Amino acid sequence: MTQDIATRNKGDVHVKQEVDTEVILGILERHDKARGALIAVLEEIQAQYGCLPEEALRTVANEMGRPLVDVYGVATFYRSFSLQPRGKHLISVCLGTACHVRGAPRIAEEFERQLGIKAGETTPDEEFTLETVNCLGACALGPVVVIDGHYFSKIRSSKVGQLIDDALKGLDKIEIGEDKRIFPIDVSCPRCNHSLMDESLTIDDHPSIRVSVSFDHKHGWLRLSSLYGSSSIRAEQDIPIGMVVDFFCPHCHAELIGSWECPMCGAPMVPMIVRGGGMVQICSRRGCNSHMLDLI
Amino acid sequence: MPQLSSIDELKELQRMLLDDIHESKPCIVVCAGTACQASGSSDIIRVAKRHIIERRLLDKISLRVTGCHGFCEMGPFILTEPQKAFYVQVTLDDVPRIIEALLSGDYVEDLLYGDPHTGKKYHNRDDIPFFKNQQRAILGLNQKIDPIRIYGYIAQAGYSALEAVLSKESPEWVVKELKRSGLRGRGGAGFPTGLKWELLAKQPNGDGKFLVCNADEGDPGAYMDRSVLEGNPHSIIEGMIIGAYGTGATEGIVYVRNEYPIAIKHLMVALRQAREHGLLGGDILGTGFSFDIKLVRGAGAFVCGEETALIRSIEGKMGEPRQRPPFPIEKGIDGKPTAINNVETWANIPLIFRLGADEFAKIGTKGNSGTKIFSLVGKIKNTGLVEVPMGITIKEIVYDIGGGPVGKAKIKAVQTGGPSGGCIPAERFDLPIDYDSLTEAGSMMGSGGMIVMDENTCMVDIAKYFMNFLKGESCGKCFTCRKGTQRMYEILDDISKGNGTLEQLDLLEELAHVVKDTTMCGLGQTAPNPVLSTLRYFGNEYERHVVDKRCDAFVCRDLVGAPCQAACPLGTEVWRYIALLEKGEYEEAYKVIRASNPFPSACARACDRKCEQRCNLGTSGGEAITIRALKRFVTDRVDPSVYTPMRVVREGKGVPRVAIVGTGPAGLSAAHYLSLLGYKVTLFEVEEEPGGMLISCIPAYRLPQDVVRKEVESLLDENITLRCGTALGRDMTIDDLFTDGFKAVFLAIGADKSWQLDLEGETLEGVYSSMEFLKAFNLRGRELAGGHVGIIGGGNSAVDAARVAIRQENVQSVTLIYRRTCQEMPAYAEEVEAALEEGIKLETLVSPVKIRYIEAALKEGIKVETWVSPVKIYAQNGRLVGIECIRNKLGDVDSSGRRRPVAVPGTEFSISLNTLIVAIGERPDSDCLASMGVDLDKGGKPRVDARTLCTTRQGVFAGGDLVTGPNTVVDAIAAGRKAATVIDRYLRGKELRELPKVTLPEVLIQPAEASDEEPGEAARAEPPTRPAESRKKNFAEVEMTLSAEEATREARRCLRCDLEFTRRENAEGNRVAVRKE
Repeated sequence: MTQDIATRNKGDVHVKQEVDTEVILGILERHDKARGALIAVLEEIQAQYGCLPEEALRTVANEMGRPLVDVYGVATFYRSFSLQPRGKHLISVCLGTACHVRGAPRIAEEFERQLGIKAGETTPDEEFTLETVNCLGACALGPVVVIDGHYFSKIRSSKVGQLIDDALKGLDKIEIGEDKRIFPIDVSCPRCNHSLMDESLTIDDHPSIRVSVSFDHKHGWLRLSSLYGSSSIRAEQDIPIGMVVDFFCPHCHAELIGSWECPMCGAPMVPMIVRGGGMVQICSRRGCNSHMLDLI
Repeated sequence: MPQLSSIDELKELQRMLLDDIHESKPCIVVCAGTACQASGSSDIIRVAKRHIIERRLLDKISLRVTGCHGFCEMGPFILTEPQKAFYVQVTLDDVPRIIEALLSGDYVEDLLYGDPHTGKKYHNRDDIPFFKNQQRAILGLNQKIDPIRIYGYIAQAGYSALEAVLSKESPEWVVKELKRSGLRGRGGAGFPTGLKWELLAKQPNGDGKFLVCNADEGDPGAYMDRSVLEGNPHSIIEGMIIGAYGTGATEGIVYVRNEYPIAIKHLMVALRQAREHGLLGGDILGTGFSFDIKLVRGAGAFVCGEETALIRSIEGKMGEPRQRPPFPIEKGIDGKPTAINNVETWANIPLIFRLGADEFAKIGTKGNSGTKIFSLVGKIKNTGLVEVPMGITIKEIVYDIGGGPVGKAKIKAVQTGGPSGGCIPAERFDLPIDYDSLTEAGSMMGSGGMIVMDENTCMVDIAKYFMNFLKGESCGKCFTCRKGTQRMYEILDDISKGNGTLEQLDLLEELAHVVKDTTMCGLGQTAPNPVLSTLRYFGNEYERHVVDKRCDAFVCRDLVGAPCQAACPLGTEVWRYIALLEKGEYEEAYKVIRASNPFPSACARACDRKCEQRCNLGTSGGEAITIRALKRFVTDRVDPSVYTPMRVVREGKGVPRVAIVGTGPAGLSAAHYLSLLGYKVTLFEVEEEPGGMLISCIPAYRLPQDVVRKEVESLLDENITLRCGTALGRDMTIDDLFTDGFKAVFLAIGADKSWQLDLEGETLEGVYSSMEFLKAFNLRGRELAGGHVGIIGGGNSAVDAARVAIRQENVQSVTLIYRRTCQEMPAYAEEVEAALEEGIKLETLVSPVKIRYIEAALKEGIKVETWVSPVKIYAQNGRLVGIECIRNKLGDVDSSGRRRPVAVPGTEFSISLNTLIVAIGERPDSDCLASMGVDLDKGGKPRVDARTLCTTRQGVFAGGDLVTGPNTVVDAIAAGRKAATVIDRYLRGKELRELPKVTLPEVLIQPAEASDEEPGEAARAEPPTRPAESRKKNFAEVEMTLSAEEATREARRCLRCDLEFTRRENAEGNRVAVRKE
């Protein structure tokens, strides 16, 4: 059985999506169309589509009241923007000075050779985009390569093939049964201290965590995997990705809410007491895998 | 969380948190900075949590996740409190052991950081040299704070500076105090921060003013700003609030580069927490003063580190700089007054107001107060972030904190200041680190990158690297920057490819000055620095590239080709014979070896393997191919007669005759190649047998004499006459040779006169030079050593002597005495290891001060009766019984990049010895040459034109050890071969000098089918050796040959660097395409 490890950055980007004007307008809305917001707006569009589609740039120019050439200028000036769609996997080879003196150019060449593309290009099958970056700030570990958000340090050219293979298989995949990093926790309600564990329904072969949720005038149960590090869930109602959900204790019916906001997305965090000590908090937004385990 | 509505409430909170700290439990601290996360610290944290929860340890132990501690290379690591044990490079399985040990107050010895030299374990992190020699005023807080919890910061006196300022001081006082602290901008230019604040404070406060934290840390190789942002974001926030109070600024912006996701995340969390606690926003702590900070993410443009470009980027435009004035301090973001400071500058503000300006100014030097964080990276042992007071020397940073070079390659420069800075050569490492000294030296402080470069770093390549970076990052607004950086890059590219000319070097310099003088912003004005500073300090490297077409660092690929071939003084096509071996074509492989080397079997045993040192497999972090063992495999298997050299046949009597003095590898090689060219050669040898060092000095267990004899014999043909027992100076002169009709003379008499210790008593019986000792045994079978033997020296001849001695019949023990540590021994490491295996003791950091002969020994009360036969000694003016030694410690780094041994008075001790062998180096025995018209230098070496081997006397050439001093077999062969070429040109009346040319691999040998096994990952096949026990007291060859299977597997590991050149025209191998089929 394989599962995503949730704590890591997801490098996956969506490719070749149709540009939805509503989405662009939504992004613009959040940034109140202020002049200075252009870069932030473009960053968000890029995060959504993996690149800056022409149609999106036109919409932005129209809505912000700036000439298209201005928007195009900004979009092409900065390194992190791309007008071309990117592959499923992004490989960034650091060419900072420290990596350079430790042989990074050879690593970049080896990737180019094995992928059959030059830096800045995407493989024809749209699996890989290869880019070189100026410095990732992990200089003590050079040469450094980042693939889909995972750092690889002290790379040698002989390791390149293995890295490409691993990326194809998916770097976020791990074996739940064997991995020491994945372990079950027992949680209870922070208000009534009643156990939230549900033996009757297992997820990932372990008793699940049972809570009640409500969103968008809908109510229902939600079961979470009790494995720390697994983001498997089962829900009575279909919760759309991106939806922020209110959590309740199924016993005392108190809302599970604390003082923390998700460091990634800003949604409220949901606290639960861990048996054995400490508190776990998970983000209340569907699709956001942010969580914290505090031993206090 | 409570909103703090007054200063008193903040004080109360602080008091509460401090009380908490006092009753604290043992704690394990794990860094989750970017570098440690890259090494897997997130997993370590998970497993630690798991262990604590599952073992119900929460009452007994706590866990703190922090930002960067600086020693990034050692990650992931665990620091324990209160022990301060520092466990490095821990794995998931280590975590429970560490937790349990901490609970019982123990240490997990094997995981503690150990000194890479001595293996000494440190139980307290603060004793580790990397940390001990730093002053961590800013970085030191990182280990105490969980960056996403504001209480952690407050508990460490965070926000107390703000509290003090807000409760009792005026804004004017704040600016004045900062000016008194002498803080200068840490972004690189060093503008006084207090002055900047004063200027901002004076601006009219109409529509508001901006404070900006410039966290667009774009210098490649620098990451200290990121570590501060990640590890202690509240210190930036506190600094900015104090700044706003002092200057009347209303809005703050932190401009962070997008490549730092963790820094962005931590800063966002910190800003939110500060706001929730009433530390940011309206009416801060009930004082009526308002200020808020916004985070703006950069989108990847180096030029945005320049302040006017940064402002435009914040405004949502292209980040092009603009002309100043007006300065941002008058017209900045949206035309409002703006002051921009760097991350590290901001982090210093709370410190200054906590310590007081006067205390702060005591750190560092006058005019350069405070500490500076550097990212010490590149070719250095301890890489990471280091924080030091300003004014300490580069040497202290590189050697005391950084621990010196990684391997044997010498450190030659540090690069500071990123692409705007320059390279500072090792000769100037005494330079104090401050803004002004670095600028004077042609570099600059910059934001703090310090990239260490060693002999394997090519300075032309570095200049080219930066120029490539800058041409890409130039915004293009100024023509001279846009085109100038591009043209400089093109010239550097030409030079690195061997197409450069001397005129281009001048053009490059001129261009650099034009760009410097005619561009608008900091990027352009400093862009030529990497070129100018490398030209200034490393002009010789440029010349080597341009004139000799050589890249001595083996970096510029179009000059190097396959590094194994380029490294070989003979230009042996190593890649080619390894490829042939792999295919099983052993005879062809032999022919390739023999084509460039007349001594293949000798070199298969005694070569110093320059090829292996340069093997790309080794230099890229793996293990080099064991090339010498593969050569041995081929030469052991193939009959030399398969190779027939090409001969030039000269008819008639007019064939010129050449005299060669010395029959070592240099003399014999010269004779061989001259003979192939059809010349008649006479070889003169002082000993009774030809072979030089190969026969007389290299011990038989390394190189059996019959192997040498066979090889020498095969070279002596009908064109060569051998005259043994004839010495130049004793039996003949150079004049005699010319009179006898020789048209040219090649001197190759080697360097076999030993240096002396210059101590009294060196002529005693029992004291020998290594050459005397080795020759007596190798040539005459005499065993000079007996009893307890001491050998002074650390080179190959010292180790050879030691190992020969231990094989001699009457020897009881052998002690090798060397004045530095094993690391600095010039002998081949494997020889030293082998010697130790054979029971040879090693005393390092020891120098002999006095040789005691019998009278002195008796006077000092040493009993010697059991050791010597007194009658004989008296008859021969005393016989050695021992030496007195003194212990050394390592001192300063000397010009060789090694630490100087310094005697420690009072540590004298004696060693009883029956035989002392002095092996501290050799020089040529060349005194007679001076009177024959051949000029000598101080060391007794003939003055020779390195390109033509011409001495000062017409028709007389010299090469080999005679010219270089003691050197390797392969260099001597190369000198002999070159002498043959030059003498041939001389005799034919041609220009002696050859144009330098680059040799690149030419012959395409198809690689074998790719196997499943990753080629580079297999272990290096070390040749088998005879076990130490069975090799004592005999001279059987120690190293044996690889089996066919081992050799083939080893050959398969070769990266085949040649294919890049031989397949250049062909379509390149495409693994992905292959897989898809």
